[in-house]
Amino acid sequence: MAQKPKLALYWAASCGGCEIAVVRLYAKILDVAEAFDIVLWPCIMDFKYKDVEVLPDKSIDVCLFNGAIRNSEQEHMAHLLREKSKVLVAYGTCAYMGGIPGLANVANRESIFELVYHDTPSTANDNGVRPQLSYQVPEGELTLPEFYDTVRTLAQVVPVEYFVPGCPPVREQTEAVLQAVMEGQLPAPGSVVGASDKTVCYDCTRIREDKRIRGFHRPYEIIPDSTHCLLEQGIICAGLATRGGCGAPCLSVNMPCRGCYGPPPNVFDQGGKLLSALASIIDTQDQDEIERIADTVPDLLGVCYLFGLPASMLRRVRQD
Amino acid sequence: MDRNGFEPLILGFACNWCTYAGADLAGTSRIQYPPNLRMIRVMCSGRVDPTFVLKAFARGVDGVLIGGCHPGDCHYMEGNYKARRRIHLLRKMLRDFGIEPERLRLEWVSASEGARFAQVVADFTKTLKELGPLKKDAKIAVSQQD
Amino acid sequence: MPDTRIGVFVCHCGRNIGGYVNVPEVVEYAKGLPDVAHAEHNLYTCSEEGISSIKKKIQDNDLNRVIVASCTPRTHEALFRSACEEAGLNKYLFEFVNIRDQCSWVHMTLPKEATEKAKDLIRMGVAKARLLKPLEEIEIEVTPSCLVIGCGVAGMTAALNLANQGFDVHLVEKASELGGLLLSLHKLFAVNREARELIVPLIEQVKNHKRITTHLSTEVKDVKGFIGNFDVTLEQGEKESKLRVGTIIVAVGAEEFKPVGQYGYGETAGVLTQLELEERLKERTLEAKNVVMINCVGARVPERPYCGRFCCLTAIKNAVLIKENDPEANVWILHRDVMAYGVEFEEYYRKAMESGVRFVRYSLETPPEVIANGELKGVSVYHELMGKQVELPSDMVVLTTPLVPRGDNAGISKTLKVPLSSDGFFLEAHLKLQPVEFATDGIYICGSARWPVEVSEAIFQACASAGKAAMPMRRGHVRPEAITSSVNEEFCGGCGVCAVLCPYGAMQMVSKNGKGVARTIEALCKGCGTCGAACPSGAITMNHFNDEQIMAQIEALTEA
Repeated sequence: MAQKPKLALYWAASCGGCEIAVVRLYAKILDVAEAFDIVLWPCIMDFKYKDVEVLPDKSIDVCLFNGAIRNSEQEHMAHLLREKSKVLVAYGTCAYMGGIPGLANVANRESIFELVYHDTPSTANDNGVRPQLSYQVPEGELTLPEFYDTVRTLAQVVPVEYFVPGCPPVREQTEAVLQAVMEGQLPAPGSVVGASDKTVCYDCTRIREDKRIRGFHRPYEIIPDSTHCLLEQGIICAGLATRGGCGAPCLSVNMPCRGCYGPPPNVFDQGGKLLSALASIIDTQDQDEIERIADTVPDLLGVCYLFGLPASMLRRVRQD
Repeated sequence: MDRNGFEPLILGFACNWCTYAGADLAGTSRIQYPPNLRMIRVMCSGRVDPTFVLKAFARGVDGVLIGGCHPGDCHYMEGNYKARRRIHLLRKMLRDFGIEPERLRLEWVSASEGARFAQVVADFTKTLKELGPLKKDAKIAVSQQD
Repeated sequence: MPDTRIGVFVCHCGRNIGGYVNVPEVVEYAKGLPDVAHAEHNLYTCSEEGISSIKKKIQDNDLNRVIVASCTPRTHEALFRSACEEAGLNKYLFEFVNIRDQCSWVHMTLPKEATEKAKDLIRMGVAKARLLKPLEEIEIEVTPSCLVIGCGVAGMTAALNLANQGFDVHLVEKASELGGLLLSLHKLFAVNREARELIVPLIEQVKNHKRITTHLSTEVKDVKGFIGNFDVTLEQGEKESKLRVGTIIVAVGAEEFKPVGQYGYGETAGVLTQLELEERLKERTLEAKNVVMINCVGARVPERPYCGRFCCLTAIKNAVLIKENDPEANVWILHRDVMAYGVEFEEYYRKAMESGVRFVRYSLETPPEVIANGELKGVSVYHELMGKQVELPSDMVVLTTPLVPRGDNAGISKTLKVPLSSDGFFLEAHLKLQPVEFATDGIYICGSARWPVEVSEAIFQACASAGKAAMPMRRGHVRPEAITSSVNEEFCGGCGVCAVLCPYGAMQMVSKNGKGVARTIEALCKGCGTCGAACPSGAITMNHFNDEQIMAQIEALTEA
């Protein structure tokens, strides 16, 4: 009997949404379980790291790795799974671009620990207890992974064959990618799969009239017209600078695109382009008015790099 | 103050019709200015994509100078106004990134302002010397044990 | 990339570069750069010798990219591009590096630094040159006909000028007759001839010219297209008609400002504007003995700071006519400076004074007051020179007002996509260098539509704009520089940002498979790059100044 191809799924710095994205294949998950021999899936199944360590190199046919790399355990698993896998897939935006955990690149280990273990109002930590890399107890040594200053994408740590964008990737695309894997129908390595080459604007069915705005609004500040472009109504929508293929589901429930599918194929830095487009359509020549309108965006860095700070050109906030 | 003879590297973008011409005029007038600037010629300041500026800072450039026509005089009518809006937002974001907004400078220099161009370069060079080199955060990411 | 072979030619420019930058060292450096197949220095690269060398080395060394490092592209790029073309290389495979005007000449006391800077700039130039692509300039055919909007003296002069050159002209006029403002005038100042004598023959010539088609009571409803190929929709009442023209001349003129509410205008009988006075003079119904004219009404004031240019002369003209008619009449002109420039006009002003017209200077702070209770009595004014208030008895007050932009200028501006100035008149491309054309190719402007002009100026401008319009029509085609934008429709999501940014209307949203995508109208694109910088999908490429080239320059500069 022919050996079933091996499949591994791993979660690094993630929220668990990508696990749910795979499970959301509903009945099709049974097809996947039928087609593959799953060798690692910490969320769902009981395999241990040592089960992976004993596998021969490149014996895992496909590994879907979700989550960003922010500590030494995740880095270790990235290297391990790279060694053991023929095809390593950065599944989901966190693995592809850093994702929401990537926003931590506005801070560093010290400031995060200071906040979490000292400054938060409900914390009582007079002895200044901090996580240690190792701690001796009578029974032996306890270790914790090292928490890094900077969050990285998977590809910034190990070479990656394919990238599946999405926070999480939509069901149809996850299905398509797994189908392609099962049929051996993947494009050249290095490609983004499970997405289109056009922007979210192409997926979105709203009516576009005139891209000129006199101010920005947060989604809660106005009740937008559900048939017209949100950006034209002043709600910042990243769709014009975001790769499509998701079907624009957020737009269909009156919420703006936040950019989770990452930059379009020909864009070097998603945040930079989004900033350029937003600034360009502000409809005034008056300097004071420009400043006033610009000031209505509360967190420009957050808006532009919500999902992709580690993958951006500057990668992180500069600190002394 | 000179931090141990630090010489800042300045990347410039000059619009063909005004700033580039003004810079040429500084040359024909033999007006001397510091040698820290490296110019990229574009047709209009409106060509400058904020991504170029981010790239420059990511590569360690200490300062970026963008030169365009005075408001109302743009050869292409409104390119400089677009540049102004983009640079304003970009400066705000640079501050969020921990990069001093003074490192990005937008100047209107007309084709007849050779002396002014030289003055701007001298001034910017001085400002950057005082600010010091751009914090590169070269050990981007990894462990405090490196 | 198939074998890229770059040739680098570094110029000494006599001692201008060579005296400060170590040119041989720079050449050696260039030789060491990847993809540089040949590097040399020349005493003067722009000389006969230098140009020949470039052409020879392109052939001998199979060069497919050329860099000249010398003065400035603003003066010499065209020359070196031609040299490349003559040697069989597409002219857009040439890159210029400025090491004189922006290097040697400005760092004369820092030879070491200037040399390092030259090396950096050449390294950046090589990085761009690697990525240069051959580009073809398109040739756009020009339809040899012109649409002239407005049939006053300017419009008709332009139309006749073009028609006599052999071009077809469509003359469109909103009113039901030809002639414009001149029909309302009595005499023309300085020459002292009736306006009829000028305008009536002009109208006859226009009516009888076989190349001119006149459309009266017609307005321009819509214009699409670009130079050589404007698709015009005209509207005459309910009827619509369509035309294809190559060029357009805007000659819509302006209208007299009616100062309602000022100086009793509209309330008190006997208070008129200059145009209204002309009517009475024409019909010989004038019966005033004491005429007081007030100049600069509604001009050179905070809400309208410009000068009407010829209204002073109109006032002088009418004042002189009144005096000629009735030497006993008293005519006063109250003014805030008299605009009577040049030879003829200054002389005319002097003659007016000699014929007994009296000029009184007043200031903006102390304007004259019209005294009337039901009936006009006189005008009280603070005489600046005498330093006291004077009372002038008067049975007619004439208000000299400027021409103001027509109300439909805004509509025409939007239809043609040409700009208006802050005053509401049309705005030309450049005050000095391009005075009778718009920045948009193929559309020209003359007459009071630009700002108030007197008849001779309207005629000069009309001839100038006709001359300009004739150029592309005679040549039969135009060839814009190939540095235009281009949209990769695989990536364009149809967001529409480029379309609102382009001041030339060169980016159009078109329908493809039921969705919108952007497309460049090459004929309209000037290559400024504003759309490309904003395009959030990366679909737009700016030819010859594209993202990859600029990024490569930045990377080359910051190589460790």
